Amino acid sequence: MYYYLYDSELSDKKYNTVIAKIETRLTDLGINGKINRLSFLKNINQILTEEIKSGVKTVIVVGDDKTIGQVINLVADFNITLGLIPLGPNNNIARLLGVPLGEDACDVISSRIIKKIDLGKINNHYFLTDLIISGKNITLECDNNYFINLSEGNNIIDIGNLNYCYGSPTDPLDGQLDIFIENAQKKFLRKTKSTLSHFKNAVLKITGDKTVPILITDEKRIVKTPAEVTIVPKKLKIIVGKGRYF
Amino acid sequence: MFKEAPLTNETDTIIGPSVKVEGDFVTEGNVIVEGMICGTIKTAKNLKVGPKSKIFANVSAENALIAGEIQGNIKVNDKLELTSTGKIFGDIKVGTLIVAAGSTLNGKCQMGTIKEKSIKPDFSKQEKIELKILTEEAIAEKKPVKKK
Repeated sequence: MYYYLYDSELSDKKYNTVIAKIETRLTDLGINGKINRLSFLKNINQILTEEIKSGVKTVIVVGDDKTIGQVINLVADFNITLGLIPLGPNNNIARLLGVPLGEDACDVISSRIIKKIDLGKINNHYFLTDLIISGKNITLECDNNYFINLSEGNNIIDIGNLNYCYGSPTDPLDGQLDIFIENAQKKFLRKTKSTLSHFKNAVLKITGDKTVPILITDEKRIVKTPAEVTIVPKKLKIIVGKGRYF
Repeated sequence: MFKEAPLTNETDTIIGPSVKVEGDFVTEGNVIVEGMICGTIKTAKNLKVGPKSKIFANVSAENALIAGEIQGNIKVNDKLELTSTGKIFGDIKVGTLIVAAGSTLNGKCQMGTIKEKSIKPDFSKQEKIELKILTEEAIAEKKPVKKK
């Protein structure tokens, strides 16, 4: 049984024609189901929990990265398959999963290539793509074995589960987080030099001498240090396309 | 062995010049070190140490290319290449060693595989046996002479 969850932004008139096309295509493919349109007044948590209890097995999110980020935290602890029809401004996750925009995504949903992928977890909050930390004097404790000290210059740390950064795709099936550390050092009358470091770990503890904000890219949400980041292997069943990065 | 390529799955870990690692660094993949490490490094694959890097650690790897400074003991199963800028202050155990002119190596060096060590012939025992035989023969020969 398919359950479609529409993002609140899709109530805008400019999406009417695309949504109509999507609904027609879904009916043609025989995979139409119950539709719920989110709004500011509806609590996504309550709606989804009720539907899952009533026997929904496949949840299709019609929206962008932010909507998926919200749904992942609700779906992860249940045996639910997640699908995506990307519509809206930010569709990085759809690109990584190989799901085309709009109407074409219906064919991907219909073909049902399901992969069990890892999910990142920061302080009991799940994330699919990556975390971004920026600042000085940050310490990362990796796998309870060694410390990475970042004291010089300005550091941008990207902790990725499913992403494509610095010309390298991160694999969401390997049970490890990819940590990219870009260090930029500005010198007077010279070009800024940037260097890159790369690690692979399953458990991370992030601390800093001051409180450092950590951005969860999926939801554009901020968590503060100290934080513990782990990877939960094969946690999410998701429908992917043939053009996926992994 | 150490082709310069963008980040791929072949290179699992890159420790950049701005990074300082402290503790036991154990990995299964290839490692490139450009920064500083204190503790131990163990890798089941290749290790590349850049010219500006400093390592204060015991190192264990399958193959190693060293262009920086290492203070600690090194164990490399296959090939260790020390470039002209490389400096090692510690003992090394290695299968094959390549040393470039201008490099520094201060410490004991043990080369070759364990199999090669086991082929050592035991001359001392053979000599002792021969000596015993000789002495017994000599005694046997000498005794009748004395009787005469």
